[in-house]
Amino acid sequence: MSGVTPSVATESERHPVDAALAARLAAIVGDRRVLFRPGELLAYSSDGLPGYLKQPSIAVFPGTRDEVIAVVRELARAGAPFVPRGAGTGLSGGALADGVVLLGLNRLSRILSIDAENAIAVVEPGVVNVALSRAVSAHGLHYAPDPSSQAACTIGGNVAENAGGPHCLKYGVTLNHVVALTVALPNGEVVTLGNAAGENDGYDLVGAFVGSEGCFGVALDVTVRLARNPQAVRTLLADFHSIDAGARAVSAIIASGLLPAALEMMDAGTIRAVEASIYAAGYPTDAAAVLLVELDGPIAGLDADVATVVRHCRDAGARDVRVARDEAERTKLWQGRKKAFGAMGRISSHLVVQDAVVPRTKLPQMLARVHDIAERYRVTVCNVFHAGDGNLHPNIGYDANDPDESARVHAAMREIMQACVDAGGTITGEHGVGIDKLPYMGAIFSEESLSAMCALREVFDPDRRANPGKVVPMHSCREWQMAPAARTGQH
Amino acid sequence: MAPASLAELRESIRDAIARRCPLRVVSRGSWLDANRPVHADTRLEVGAYAGIVEYEPGDLTLTARAGTTLHEIARATSANGQWLALDPLGDPSRATLGATIATGSYGPLAHHFGTPRDMTLGVEFVSGTGDVVRGGGRVVKNVAGFDLTRLVTGAWGSLGVLTEATVRLRALPSVEATLLIDIGSATAELERARTALRGLPFVPLAVQLVDAAARQALGVAGGRDAFIVRLGGNEEAVRAQREQLRGIGEAHDVDTEIWRRARVAEPAGAAVVRLSRLPSRFAATWQDAERIAERWPGGQLHGDPGRGVVRVVLPVDGNVLDASLRAALEIPFDGTRIYERLPRALWPALAPTAMHGAIDRGVKAAFDPHYLLNPGIFGELQ
Repeated sequence: MSGVTPSVATESERHPVDAALAARLAAIVGDRRVLFRPGELLAYSSDGLPGYLKQPSIAVFPGTRDEVIAVVRELARAGAPFVPRGAGTGLSGGALADGVVLLGLNRLSRILSIDAENAIAVVEPGVVNVALSRAVSAHGLHYAPDPSSQAACTIGGNVAENAGGPHCLKYGVTLNHVVALTVALPNGEVVTLGNAAGENDGYDLVGAFVGSEGCFGVALDVTVRLARNPQAVRTLLADFHSIDAGARAVSAIIASGLLPAALEMMDAGTIRAVEASIYAAGYPTDAAAVLLVELDGPIAGLDADVATVVRHCRDAGARDVRVARDEAERTKLWQGRKKAFGAMGRISSHLVVQDAVVPRTKLPQMLARVHDIAERYRVTVCNVFHAGDGNLHPNIGYDANDPDESARVHAAMREIMQACVDAGGTITGEHGVGIDKLPYMGAIFSEESLSAMCALREVFDPDRRANPGKVVPMHSCREWQMAPAARTGQH
Repeated sequence: MAPASLAELRESIRDAIARRCPLRVVSRGSWLDANRPVHADTRLEVGAYAGIVEYEPGDLTLTARAGTTLHEIARATSANGQWLALDPLGDPSRATLGATIATGSYGPLAHHFGTPRDMTLGVEFVSGTGDVVRGGGRVVKNVAGFDLTRLVTGAWGSLGVLTEATVRLRALPSVEATLLIDIGSATAELERARTALRGLPFVPLAVQLVDAAARQALGVAGGRDAFIVRLGGNEEAVRAQREQLRGIGEAHDVDTEIWRRARVAEPAGAAVVRLSRLPSRFAATWQDAERIAERWPGGQLHGDPGRGVVRVVLPVDGNVLDASLRAALEIPFDGTRIYERLPRALWPALAPTAMHGAIDRGVKAAFDPHYLLNPGIFGELQ
């Protein structure tokens, strides 16, 4: 995404660098791996979410597991808050460090072991998502969660955000693929969560840790489950003269009980942006919407399922449905989808992206609602999203230097989010809360529920030094600190 | 205590907190003899808090109160060609959604569909602080907030009393078949069959290896171990699956009813332990399990090669000496041993606690600070 100008002042003046801490960190990782001058830190003042700039006080980049542990312990001794960061591709501002230490984990990029027989691998947190799939492809395996940023994002970041991706419709999200973890708690203690070699009893701490957005500690290694490559894959492109028709096709396919590997939708604005970019995929530019549907599995019976999908698309009013003839065409169709955000970034100077989820039967009415809201606020919404999961990514391109347009864009986004919540949905399906969705947490969770989340966080991080100020609004946490007896008396 | 509404349930718990009265949380009571003994005299009966709250078939999700039985859910969903793909042991007309999630219970279908942690989308529970807490939601994808859903799934009611859950449904396969494949009892033969099953281009709905005693109980008696394989899909897919299974051994059809029978065939009150290692070591794990079963009259085994788990069932009647049962169970084993049910006196010796560290204890203290919810069920007070 391009041309972002600071919308929030950097705060390094308010948090003078602790030179002594920087020196102690340098003693662990080497001088070159500790940055603290404002100029050096600029590259680490944003993540994948445009519109925010927050400068860390220090950025430290350990290269080994032992260095990570030593750094975390040094930060604990200093009482210093810190923000773990993978590749910085997150879309919720979760890796922004506002005047605190940024702990970069991207140098821990070794795949520690691959056990093809049991379809598991142990990786360091900085391993790039797609690098893992490449490394295991010779065994006929892949790592199933495939966020659009998979060429850059790391497994550690995926774990923190419980990342999804198009193929999570069938294969499940990160949570369903993490077996065990070794974690450095914020106090520097190293613990193992889960059981890589058998069943787990006791509390599901792996489940608690995955998606904790860097608030529960730092993963040192992650044992992931690998998926077997399907015997056959069929990729279809269906195009529609209206968004409503496309949305009805999605609802019909899901209701039929078929479980496509992926079911993605793009609207006219997205199609045109993609086709005007170097990622042109051959989507029909006069279509109001296209559906990208992938079915995979054993060859036997697969084409019967393809026929069912084609029928549902035609019944909903598809103008054309074509099946990719070969791997090259398939790759091209997917490239357009995966690079859609990049393509849209070319058009507008600023882009806001949402990540709401609605029940799948509500998709047609919700897309109509999004359209109405956009018209009312005179903004242009593009939709590119995981339709099969009901996971919407409405995004609006705009010029942040235009205060009137900015105000309309943000008002429209708030209304879209509220509409999704009112439809029984949620505020984030895969990007995480970070700081961007914090204001919406109260719309879906009661104070009691938010307090319970704070309580869980404090088990892992009683000092609240790991990724402070993210995920749960702080006022909810203050509630929790009251004595239990006082709280139980309230209604 | 048998509260009928959420408000009453919360009041019961707040009252118990005020009086510091430990509670045994009970749904329909069919699993009460499982896991470690609970130190509480007062029963909080929540089975009456039942009913499907929301079911929109087109969403393939269902929200129900915790006391809703799996049978009731199956009846509602099968009318729309759908199912909750969970088949834990026990009579489905008594097993409730809440108890299944709270105990993390699963059955043979876990081979394909996973366990409750993989299909629970959201929960509501009353914590040991008397708060009504919700985690997750009703949609199929959700990363808002910390994952309280996974935290209470399999927590055996020790952090909160489940009141409602939303689960993901699947379409019922249009065609099903169940085949039984006899294999020899030699380890090499088991290993060959396991490898062949793993190499199939599809993942069956369920694969269970059963020994002669388990076969007897299931009504498919035979002298040797056998794989029972559950197939599902469209017509063409199942036809091909049958073909491919033939490469493994002589396969013959058995009534799909066998899976229902398997849920209720077990002798009541049996001592049960699950042994697990990586799936590649399944044959060795099976052998270890055989060493236990051989030392016990009526001992039976079944296991899932895909998950690497073998379940050992040892019938226990009133005359059994704890010491002899303990001797049978305590074979040397380098994998993971999880006990499901034991005579009360054996828990402290064989599996004193499932609280593995400070985080487990911290989680318990945060959600149940007065130690009132099923105290002892994870061995936390011993």
